[in-house]
Amino acid sequence: MLKTFRHGIHPPANKITKDIPLKDFEISEMLYISLSQHIGAPAKCLVNVGDHVDEGQMIGEAGGFVSAPVFASVSGTVKGIVKLPTAIGGEADHIQIENDGLYTKALLEPLTQPTKEDVLKRVKDAGIVGMGGATFPTHVKLSPKDPIDTLIINAAECEPYITCDYRLLMEYPDKVLAGIKYLMLALDVKDAYIGIENNKKDAIELLLSKAPSDIHVVALKTKYPQGAEKQLIYAITKRVVPVGALPAAVGCVVNNTHTAFSVACAVEDGETLYKRAMTVSGKGVENKGNYFVRTGTTYQFIYDKCKGNVDEDVTRKVISGGPMMGFAQSSLKPATTKGSSSLLFLSEDEFGTNEPTQCINCGRCIKNCPMQLRPRDIEHCAEKKDFEGTFKNGVMNCIECGVCSYSCPARRPLVQAMKLSKKEIKVRGIK
Amino acid sequence: MSNYIVSTSPHFQSTSSTKTIMLDVIIALIPATIAMIVLYGIYPLFLMVLCVGSAVFGEWIYNVITKKPQSVGDLSAVVTGMILALNLPPVVPFYVPIVGGLFSIIIVKMLFGGIGKNFANPAITGRIFLMLCWTGIMTTFVVPNGFVEGTKSFFQHAVNINLGAVDGLTSATPLASVKASVESGAAPLAGYAMVSGWSTGNAYLDMFLGIIGGSAGEICSLAILVGGLYLVVRKVIDWKIPAIYIASTVIFTALFFCKSEYCGEYVYTYLFGGGLLFGAFFMATDYATSPKSTIAVVIYALLLGLLTVVFRKYSTMNEGVSFAILLMNIATPLLEKIAPKAFGTPKKTFKKIFAKKAKPEAEGGKNG
Repeated sequence: MLKTFRHGIHPPANKITKDIPLKDFEISEMLYISLSQHIGAPAKCLVNVGDHVDEGQMIGEAGGFVSAPVFASVSGTVKGIVKLPTAIGGEADHIQIENDGLYTKALLEPLTQPTKEDVLKRVKDAGIVGMGGATFPTHVKLSPKDPIDTLIINAAECEPYITCDYRLLMEYPDKVLAGIKYLMLALDVKDAYIGIENNKKDAIELLLSKAPSDIHVVALKTKYPQGAEKQLIYAITKRVVPVGALPAAVGCVVNNTHTAFSVACAVEDGETLYKRAMTVSGKGVENKGNYFVRTGTTYQFIYDKCKGNVDEDVTRKVISGGPMMGFAQSSLKPATTKGSSSLLFLSEDEFGTNEPTQCINCGRCIKNCPMQLRPRDIEHCAEKKDFEGTFKNGVMNCIECGVCSYSCPARRPLVQAMKLSKKEIKVRGIK
Repeated sequence: MSNYIVSTSPHFQSTSSTKTIMLDVIIALIPATIAMIVLYGIYPLFLMVLCVGSAVFGEWIYNVITKKPQSVGDLSAVVTGMILALNLPPVVPFYVPIVGGLFSIIIVKMLFGGIGKNFANPAITGRIFLMLCWTGIMTTFVVPNGFVEGTKSFFQHAVNINLGAVDGLTSATPLASVKASVESGAAPLAGYAMVSGWSTGNAYLDMFLGIIGGSAGEICSLAILVGGLYLVVRKVIDWKIPAIYIASTVIFTALFFCKSEYCGEYVYTYLFGGGLLFGAFFMATDYATSPKSTIAVVIYALLLGLLTVVFRKYSTMNEGVSFAILLMNIATPLLEKIAPKAFGTPKKTFKKIFAKKAKPEAEGGKNG
């Protein structure tokens, strides 16, 4: 019996790039390193225009406890600090670096036989954040107030299209496992679980053959959103994270596959976090694949290099992240960050058209909601601007996974209503 | 630079839309429709065309008059028309389905806000309305006499209200036989005349195949099961509603008749001899008028079964499915209040409820 959570959906997987090995992406002449690559306070800029920087050098220090430093992804000269749109909307300061083509590195000291404190310090110094897309600073996650007994590694990769975590598991299993070991050391836990969806059978087998006895490989049912934190914890441990609480409340810490990989790179090789694995896919590009992309590479550069012979008009929607929770881009100006797990160039036939019609009350949103909410009722309230009502219906528990909107035959803008309600509730101070 | 489409996530959408769901229901109704034509000829198909036509026209004209966006394209009016037609006795005069179709759509559906907002199933309410208007016509059933014979008497049916005098084929439904049997104490199916030339000679098999008196589309249990299973497999309907409804009807029938020596016959007749299967698969599962959470669905379907048996056994009517469904439709908003709490909401145990109640008392004691 495969482990899973209640409700959920089965969107088409579209893992086109599944079998394409990871390779280094071309490096741009000009890179734009965002100072806000994580959740929390933006990093504070440490360099001035004209400064020379080395690859991997810290150019922005953490702006608080819930924050992370940022690093130069190439060696070169700081050309300026510019405001650029970010992938998640809004603008942020970016440090513009001109690549000198020398790639001189400024790395940290590799650690052999690190202690718990060494690992924690290294995770913080290397600027490691949650690489699944949420970009929550990892050192904060590793210093919980509640006692922790279980580390869960999220390798579900339930979003369609994205395959970068799968490629990491297939090509660098030892590195990922080593990273998990360091995370276990930092958290002082005896057991770690890797949750993988059952559509990646070869990865499950590979890890089963390599994993030490305290790292348990768990095959999960292929179902969206299997990789959502609370759902993953429930699937693997049957523990239910209370509403409004963090996983630590039930003794769990969840980290992404790529986070584990980056931790191993930081500890063993002294690498700071300035590049990551990323999936480029969709019918709008010819050279689909999985690439190690340096942070600060603009979407325009990625598009130009991957476009191939596909006509520019084919791409109708550009999505940073997966198609279920990712952000649609209005331009190709944003640059990649530590959280950029994928960039999709979708043609018209790849995404749904949004023309809402009247709700037919079929109840699919209710039956599929992994948080057991009633999106139909919440949307009814939101439509009437009754945000007290949306609050009472539990909209604050919504994880915005997109299951309701996906399954709605009337194409109701349900997730939109959830996001709007959450914002309004915060603005109006409804409690 | 090309203009990209920007919208909120998710950027994926399932392929099912209101239209595809309605198409699935139409496909599921086809076996029952075919059975109807095979058993009764062309005339009931003519009635169905009138039903669907008036239903679609009703929705169209309502939208035109009220200047609302046209919604007939979603095919839901077609489904309502088809279900209503399958609910009619096979030989009603031509104006009955027209009035029924218009009433179902305009009064029950559109005036309450259109698709998804109706308080009761339009087709069932339409049928009940027609029953109140033309009780005699709506409760006169004929035994199927096959495609050829049925088609021959086409024009007679269209205008003649006094059907009993037409061809002498009028028949009691199996449910009526049960009622008579309960009163007389005779075996239920002994008095049931198998007048049709099509009869297999086995009353049980006749009932399953639909060679009995009844509403045009409700008689052939086999065809309804095929269509119903299609809906379940396609996940258009919640399987729990028909499953629990049918099971609860069987259980309550057995309970209510447990003292009778013909209990088995009664259960079988209640199961296959009336409108139960059609109601359970196609009408009780109507989206707008059935609850959504599991507990509510269980209560809804259990009560449907209980009400059906109570109506059939104790009321003056032989059939109880439509009234049971109408009543439970009206109870649905109440049942909808039973909703599970968000994932992770602490479960209320008796201990905790008790502890909460005990606290204020303790504080009160301190203050005093």
